[in-house]
Amino acid sequence: MSTSTTEAPAGTAVRRGRLRLDGVRKSLGGKEVVSAVDLETEPGEFLTLLGPSGCGKTTTLNMVAGHLTADGGVIEVDGRDITGTPPHRRSMGMVFQSYALFPHMTIADNVAFGLRMRKVAAAERRRQVDEVIEMVGLGGMAGRHPRQLSGGQQQRAALARALVIQPDLLLLDEPFSNLDAQLRVRLREEVVALQRRIGTTTILVTHDQEEALAVSDRIAVMADGVIHQLDRPSEIYLRPGTDFVAQFIGEVNALDGTAAGPAADGYACRVAGVTVAATPVGEPPAEGADVRVYVRPEVVRVGAGGNGLTGSVRETRFLGSRIRCVVTTQAGTVTAALPFDAEVPEVGAEVTCAWRPSDASLTAR
Amino acid sequence: MTRLLGRVFAALVGLFLVAPVLVTVASSLTTTRYVTFPPQGITLHWYAEVFRKEEFLSSFALSAGVALAAAAVSAVVGLACGLAIHRHRFPGRGALEAVLSGAFAVPTIVLGIGLLQWFAQMGLASSAFTLLLAHLVLTVPYTVRLVLAGLAGLDRSAEKAAAGLGAAPFLVFWHVTLPAVRGPLIGGAFFAFITSFDDLTVALFVVTTDLQTLPVRIFNYMQYDYDPTVTAIGTLMVLFAAVAVVVIERFVGVARLFGADAEQHR
Repeated sequence: MSTSTTEAPAGTAVRRGRLRLDGVRKSLGGKEVVSAVDLETEPGEFLTLLGPSGCGKTTTLNMVAGHLTADGGVIEVDGRDITGTPPHRRSMGMVFQSYALFPHMTIADNVAFGLRMRKVAAAERRRQVDEVIEMVGLGGMAGRHPRQLSGGQQQRAALARALVIQPDLLLLDEPFSNLDAQLRVRLREEVVALQRRIGTTTILVTHDQEEALAVSDRIAVMADGVIHQLDRPSEIYLRPGTDFVAQFIGEVNALDGTAAGPAADGYACRVAGVTVAATPVGEPPAEGADVRVYVRPEVVRVGAGGNGLTGSVRETRFLGSRIRCVVTTQAGTVTAALPFDAEVPEVGAEVTCAWRPSDASLTAR
Repeated sequence: MTRLLGRVFAALVGLFLVAPVLVTVASSLTTTRYVTFPPQGITLHWYAEVFRKEEFLSSFALSAGVALAAAAVSAVVGLACGLAIHRHRFPGRGALEAVLSGAFAVPTIVLGIGLLQWFAQMGLASSAFTLLLAHLVLTVPYTVRLVLAGLAGLDRSAEKAAAGLGAAPFLVFWHVTLPAVRGPLIGGAFFAFITSFDDLTVALFVVTTDLQTLPVRIFNYMQYDYDPTVTAIGTLMVLFAAVAVVVIERFVGVARLFGADAEQHR
């Protein structure tokens, strides 16, 4: 472990770190906070655990890191069972919301810590530390103490400290939450770029949906200790599989109806007497079953005529990048977020709300 | 105007605090056979007298030895207690914390009487060891408080980070936890040393005629002879404390010991 494989040149990142969780459970204080979580990453993947506080995402991450021991289930990295391995024998770089730098050490000593623990020779250590400090954009800061750095710089240092040991997995626990909005976006873009370059499988824990959508290859949406849906950001957004996923991430139109059967594109269902189509998440429902259709405002097209829910425009509002248009239809209120240059209907006008079946999801209710 | 008044007030307070020390130091130089201020003439005779009196030297050795032991034990026990209270939920934790906080409120004379009884009942003869035990009752609560304050400033995530970087539990403790309480530990040990070294009230109850700490020795001596030997000893004790402060200041910084390091742990 002490030998240092040199950094692969940019573009030819070695993708490694396949994490697998199988039925992982954990109770804390008599309450089950993680119930049977299954998860498998691709090597080099950027996977996000997204959910509200108390959903079990941080507990899951702590079990992956080894700070908590799973009550049941198996945790594997690259086929090795690490369920009972103590944290210091796993190879995980972790970055925390609070930065968690060692306050009495310089940035260079902080970054060198993992290499010292691995007994890397001083000269080699210095070379690698310099390299990674340079990589995260902290060149010239090596001799400073954490308290002399801004929040963003401290988090870069923490990232350097985690990356220098070339971990199997990079674990990020709400790393951007303490930063102000602009810096948060900038740093996360940098982290994504860096992650793409070095190809280390990364698990991010966050409660920020926008952040999850922006950075992830895949998102696992968690609530009440279980993963509700695990899929690519666009799938999660456009085709939420559960009510929780639909409501937690952005705004959604939820329409109740009954399944009518497969249609040319997607699956048809009857909503308030009108036939609409959407894409089933998971197994298609049986004909006649109660279903719910989720449609994001951004995919709703509002126009005169055509197939879809009809109704009258109740209000329109200019929101800058989008125009919000609320239509009272036979199936209830439908909200559309029209593009900036769309033709905006008059309030009171009779319109049809339609969408591509592939842009909406259909689930059993 | 208010500023000027403030300065005058500060100067008066300072004078009030320092004056007794100055009087003691000055009167130790007198050539008279009795303590007087201002001193009559100047001589170091009384200092020579101190070193001629063997009982003072042995008392100093006893006091210094017990104080050193109190400092060391307080640091170790304080660290262990502080960690246990901060990290673990165990039966009696609340009671332990309450006792440790309440210990400050117990008058030392009450403590002395209690310990006298207690040691007698247990059949413990007076010794340097019982003296040490008595002083630990005074000093450990303080050290625990300091350690708890230090631990409160430590981000537990830093320990997790260290473990994740490959540090086994002892190395996490050594490299991350201990540095966070280094100041409190040195401060606590320093406080324990001074408390033990200066203590008269508790020691009065615990010592015997053969076993007297320096303050007890001075106290007893003054009941029979009030010659400038006592002021010479007093001066030496002040010097001793001053040297200790300077040494600590040199290595740690006295201000930092007593919590003036908010910026450090932010």
